[in-house]
Amino acid sequence: MKSAIKYFFIPVLMGVTSPVWSIESAETKVIKQQITASGFKPAADLYRNPDENLAPIGLIFFESNKGLSLNGNISCRTCHQDKFGSADGIPNAAAIGGGDGKTMVGPDRLLNGAKQLPRNTLAFWGRGAKGFDVFFWDGRVDFSLKKPLSQFGSKVPANDALLTAVHLPVVEIREMLDEDKFVKDHKTESVDKSKEVYNAIAKRLIKVEPEASQNLAKALNKNVDQLEYIDFARAIAAFIRSEFRIKTSKLEKFIQGKEDFSEAEIKGARVFYGKGACSTCHNGPHFSDFKFYTVPFPQLGFGKNGFGVDYGRYNATFNPKDLYKFRTAPLYNVEKTAPYGHSGSVATIQEAIVAHYDPLSLVQTDKLSQFDRYELSKRLTFSDSTTRVNYLTPEEVNQLTAFLKTLSF
Amino acid sequence: MKKIIITLNILASLSCIALVTKYIAVPYIAEVVYREDYKKLVFACDNVMRDHLIAKNRVNVDKSEDSIKQLHSAEVGLLTCDDYDKLRKRMMILGVNEENLAMIGIEAIEEKSNDVRNFVKTHEIRY
Repeated sequence: MKSAIKYFFIPVLMGVTSPVWSIESAETKVIKQQITASGFKPAADLYRNPDENLAPIGLIFFESNKGLSLNGNISCRTCHQDKFGSADGIPNAAAIGGGDGKTMVGPDRLLNGAKQLPRNTLAFWGRGAKGFDVFFWDGRVDFSLKKPLSQFGSKVPANDALLTAVHLPVVEIREMLDEDKFVKDHKTESVDKSKEVYNAIAKRLIKVEPEASQNLAKALNKNVDQLEYIDFARAIAAFIRSEFRIKTSKLEKFIQGKEDFSEAEIKGARVFYGKGACSTCHNGPHFSDFKFYTVPFPQLGFGKNGFGVDYGRYNATFNPKDLYKFRTAPLYNVEKTAPYGHSGSVATIQEAIVAHYDPLSLVQTDKLSQFDRYELSKRLTFSDSTTRVNYLTPEEVNQLTAFLKTLSF
Repeated sequence: MKKIIITLNILASLSCIALVTKYIAVPYIAEVVYREDYKKLVFACDNVMRDHLIAKNRVNVDKSEDSIKQLHSAEVGLLTCDDYDKLRKRMMILGVNEENLAMIGIEAIEEKSNDVRNFVKTHEIRY
């Protein structure tokens, strides 16, 4: 009798009631509506790569430690490692002087005496995809504006934000460039002088990567000796677009009805689109509005302005209204890119969330120097996030974290 | 003749001592003595200069009585840099060269680099 119930009645009952089981709950419906209304786009729709054929060649230059760095041993790959979610896993980037750019990476590079940069290395996910036109923490390459913003002024090397951004790290002293006599002689704000540095880098790449340079020249219908830095930048940008493209996430499968969210993920989504107000800034196809806000993260390291000060967006615009503001972080693969914040001062996603609404819980104010405490108060005064984000319980923070992990692929 | 040679030797030795004192000992001692004061003034001057630039930018963006008052205060604040300039010149007169001064300045600016290493060690960021 028992087995009759088990093998006959229950399946029949399930069959009769199946329409009820398959109906989406109101909660799920609302969440899906919110995700779509906040600008979600399927991964495949975001991909754009006008130079896709150059991507395999771009990989060679992307990893060319002795070619891409004019006088050091470091490449894009040194700080953009797969094992660190396309960043370097440390709070402030460890740049030139940390040893072999291929083997000395992440914490090892930092502890090997590399010169530090003042900010956290950004991950590469979605860079150059559709809708991703604002680069770096302070948006110093910003093609979302009517008049593109970059250090090149009106002489932007390309009408493409990623291609322009690829021009920056290679000429940044301490980042990929050591300050030798040639660099000192060309260290000016003049675009023409910097052209000479770019020419020198192009020549070096041709010398260090002869085969890839030949292939690049062939693909562009040029002679090798006609190659300019922008040609190499095109190949690198093509590789970045291809390698770090947005792929299908659990969230996308959830929207399409192919996968369900767990209870924690659903509740986390409720916080993200509701109480937490996260989606008021983390919206759009990349979960960022690409605008600038002050989130009073603790400051770690010496900061872009020195002495532990980082004025953020102000350094790009010189508008005092932009003090301490940083670009809203895009969120795809966020779980893989610890530590967080512009100076990498918090180690977990949970702490990064807390920094938005309860920043003082992350610092021991009595242990700060007087000046650091003063700076913290200023950041708090400028804070945008504390007025937006509601108080969240530790449980809600964990639920939110679970939701953010659905953006991984 | 012997006396002349001895005298010349003494003169040569004194010259050597004088040269070593002027070009090595005094600059070294000056660097050691003034190092911390110099770092403090690099910080203080940098701080008021940053404030001054922000005040200037504020007037450019939003010219008002208040922003002009702030700019005036920031201009007076720049007097701190006078102390920095004086110490810098004193150190240079004592023989500390510009490159060393620049190095001390960078040390001051980047003093918090160690915080990053400590953070990494504390959190044992190892993958």
